[in-house]
Amino acid sequence: MSSSRTETGVVDVVMPQLGVSVVEGTVVEWRKAVGDRVEADEIVVEVSTDKIDTEIPAPAAGVVSELLVGAGETVAVGMPLARIEAGDALTDDGVPAEGQPPASGGDDAGAEATGNGAGRRLSPVVQRIAADHAIDLSEVEGTGRDGRIRKQDVLAHVETAQAPLHTESPFRPESVPKPESAPVGGTLSRMRRTIGEHMKRSLETAATCTTWIEVDMSRVERERAALGLTALPLVARATIDALREHPQLNAWLEDERHTVHDDVHLGIAVSLDEDGLIVPVVRDAHDLSPEGLGRRIRDLARRARAGELTADEVRGATFTLTNPGQYGALMATPVISQPQVAILDIEAIIKRPVVVAGPDGEDAIAIRPMCVLGLSWDHRALDGVLAARFLSAVRRRLEGGPS
Amino acid sequence: MSTLTYLQAISDGLRTEMRDDDRVFVMGQDVGAFGGAFKVTDGFLDEFGADRVMDTPLAESGIVGTAVGAAVAGLRPVCEMQFADFVACGFDQLVNVAGKMHYRQGLSVNITVRLPSGGGFSGGPFHSQNPEAWFMHAPGLKVVAPSTPEDAKGLLTTAIRDPNPVVFCEHKNLYRRVKGEVPAGEHATPFTARVAREGDDLVVIAYGAMVHTALEATEDLDGARVMVLDLRSLVPLDEEAILAAVHRCSKVVVVDEANQTCAAGAQVAALIAQRAFEDLDGPVVRVATPDVPIPFSPPLEQAVLPDVERVREACRELLAY
Repeated sequence: MSSSRTETGVVDVVMPQLGVSVVEGTVVEWRKAVGDRVEADEIVVEVSTDKIDTEIPAPAAGVVSELLVGAGETVAVGMPLARIEAGDALTDDGVPAEGQPPASGGDDAGAEATGNGAGRRLSPVVQRIAADHAIDLSEVEGTGRDGRIRKQDVLAHVETAQAPLHTESPFRPESVPKPESAPVGGTLSRMRRTIGEHMKRSLETAATCTTWIEVDMSRVERERAALGLTALPLVARATIDALREHPQLNAWLEDERHTVHDDVHLGIAVSLDEDGLIVPVVRDAHDLSPEGLGRRIRDLARRARAGELTADEVRGATFTLTNPGQYGALMATPVISQPQVAILDIEAIIKRPVVVAGPDGEDAIAIRPMCVLGLSWDHRALDGVLAARFLSAVRRRLEGGPS
Repeated sequence: MSTLTYLQAISDGLRTEMRDDDRVFVMGQDVGAFGGAFKVTDGFLDEFGADRVMDTPLAESGIVGTAVGAAVAGLRPVCEMQFADFVACGFDQLVNVAGKMHYRQGLSVNITVRLPSGGGFSGGPFHSQNPEAWFMHAPGLKVVAPSTPEDAKGLLTTAIRDPNPVVFCEHKNLYRRVKGEVPAGEHATPFTARVAREGDDLVVIAYGAMVHTALEATEDLDGARVMVLDLRSLVPLDEEAILAAVHRCSKVVVVDEANQTCAAGAQVAALIAQRAFEDLDGPVVRVATPDVPIPFSPPLEQAVLPDVERVREACRELLAY
């Protein structure tokens, strides 16, 4: 084994902590293959946790010597994903120095690595030491009876062999992943899969009903023009106030456990167009004015589309708003985001002739900007009367009450 | 510090405790005027008087039973079985009464029962046994078995002071054969194992006379560094010391002079199998007396008792594994 090996570092690319509550992540796509040269901070791999995709940079410049996790595999935070042979252990053509294990193991090599010393009787202590030091026992010469590998043989191997790549990590892949087997379009399908799973689970879990109400948005339109906002933050503020009035809708239902929240953490559905959908959360939304809500929603939406959200920013919503109405739709039956108990859908604001009260109380027809609000709610947690009262509270605030 | 035989060390320990503590007294057959079958209590009658050095009838059940009563009343009797083999007659008092008193009635039975044990001198089937496993199996009894004069004194002292019934297995074949430095005055040894020799290629685990057999057998074994672990106490068993030795050496030979089945070494082997599995680099090898009574015939006795050659062969085999 070349001596340069021990003089230069082997650096791990590890699954990062992408948020305080994140415990694992999935490799979406390798950007580098074994043998590729990488610069420090160059993107090596794309990983995904729940809904967040993140690119992981190389911690040091060097040559990728091992990919330990295949695309699509999920590993715990802190686990090594790849190894980079840093610095000098490179030959001129940028490939790892002599003695490196070959980059692409065929099936045979994989099988050999899997059964470490298979076919031979190995004592427990020999297997333990081999595992602790990541030793391939096929390389160890046995001096015991009939060539059996004894403890001293494996210990001698530990001492005389090159420094093991990693003594601190018992993790070893089953085989070297073959780059050509990486799933095509993994990013898209993964998000779609996740959304699909969540939606399906919600429909299987909740007794979902939808109630609609029609709201005259004249006042909202005036206000939003004055404030330079879209209608969304104003509706959000009215929704928050209505949730404070009817906290049963600002709740989670997990099996039998019903948790009513004081604070409103408002999930806002953001379309990523063809890529899918993500729901960043405005934490402590009840503390914010319509202007503040507007700023936060804009910021979250921008970062959602840039793929910059952290995992903690898409968790913990107590209630969700979705507004496909900006694209002109009239009505929808949104799916509740579990474990919340309701979701409010804001549809398009469209001018329509409506019957209003004239100056003297007489009926009159007027042109008003109308909007349908749809509330999907979980019949396990509440009944339709409450849903209607809540919608009515939202409407009251939007039409006449303080916004 | 003075050089004493194993037997003198036992006498010294007993005498020291009797001088220091009026509650300590001895009972047994011929322990008084005759000074004991092996002369452990020689001179005790003159020094301590017949009230504290009591000759008893030839009835072990009576000896142990009386001692239990005396202990419950607050004394610290030390009973001598003339030969360990005869403790069978006191079995009920020891196992069913003394061992269970604490659990049944919350009473301390602070007795020590000395068992002159072991063979190797043509004592025949009634004067050569190693019955420690009988008592290891009985809850409530402690069992110790010293291998050196120093530990003979120290373990006896600890046994006398222990509030529980303690079976003290002293090996007859060591009485006058083994000599060593023994601290003068009070000397107590904890009920733990002792490393008799350091090593890391293999460990021989033994107690009593077999410690000496193990040391001799592995003194020069083709350059191998062989640890010898002297258990000293069988109940309580120093599990951590055993596991540490196995972790270090990975190969284990367990030696018993007792009959093989369910001997102390069987318990040690079971412990290793359960808690040191991943430290093992070979089978746990046992060397013990086959399940036969100890023959009177000297060549036959030598054939059944584990000796230096058998232990050495077992170690060689395992080292080569």
